[in-house]
Amino acid sequence: MPGMFMATMEFKLSCRPVEDGITVIDLRGEVDAFTAPQVKQEMINQIEGGSTKLAVNLADVKYLDSTGLGVLIGGLKRTRDKEGELVLICPNVRIMRIFEITGLSRIFEMFQTEQEALTKLKG
Amino acid sequence: MEMTTVELKIPCQVEYIGVARLVILGVASRTLFSYDEIEDMRLAVGEACTSAIDRAASSGKPDSEITLSCRMGDDRLVIQVSDNIPLAAGAEPAPATADAGTEAGAEEDQGIGALLMEILVDEIQQDTRTGPGTSITMTKYIGR
Repeated sequence: MPGMFMATMEFKLSCRPVEDGITVIDLRGEVDAFTAPQVKQEMINQIEGGSTKLAVNLADVKYLDSTGLGVLIGGLKRTRDKEGELVLICPNVRIMRIFEITGLSRIFEMFQTEQEALTKLKG
Repeated sequence: MEMTTVELKIPCQVEYIGVARLVILGVASRTLFSYDEIEDMRLAVGEACTSAIDRAASSGKPDSEITLSCRMGDDRLVIQVSDNIPLAAGAEPAPATADAGTEAGAEEDQGIGALLMEILVDEIQQDTRTGPGTSITMTKYIGR
């Protein structure tokens, strides 16, 4: 289906285990109602697999809508339920603005770099 | 004021939201809007489409359609996102996207989509009386 190809080629998800219980989820492209279910499922898989400290890397995300925000909020709740945490790596000003105008920048811990985010998770 | 119109009709399905956003990019790029203003409109339109898709799914009408109409003027872009999802008899019109979470976000994104639309465009109006379904009209002024 051409439309489906057009929408999916903009999105990529990959995971990098950093150390026991800590994983970085790299997102790339457009996170919307079409692609967000993949993010939700991956976060559930990671948390159920024992990675309860997640850093979601939004550095290469070009578009993020309310569905994507909802999935991140869900991830935050799920990690906290397991006494873990979820932090965001968000150096992109445009994406950061979406968190600010919705007030979600006060709920998430957000970092400019992966190193800062991992320091927080390891601490 | 003379306005040029571009229209697009898409299925009420999540995989086509990206197509609607591409149209906004193409249309708005022909105007004097800044990059940030165009991105604001793309996000607002994406939210309006997501809202329609949520309502289609919750109404059991996944074969509905979304019509995107973009009217370009000298100082503004007026975008109408309308659908043909019938309101249940006697139902009160629900605020856009605040009524149901998407499949993807479940309940966590309630209200965020409506909030984003309100913030990202200069004027927004929702109408459930003049068409078969719901129509969201958003206006963005250049440089405001």
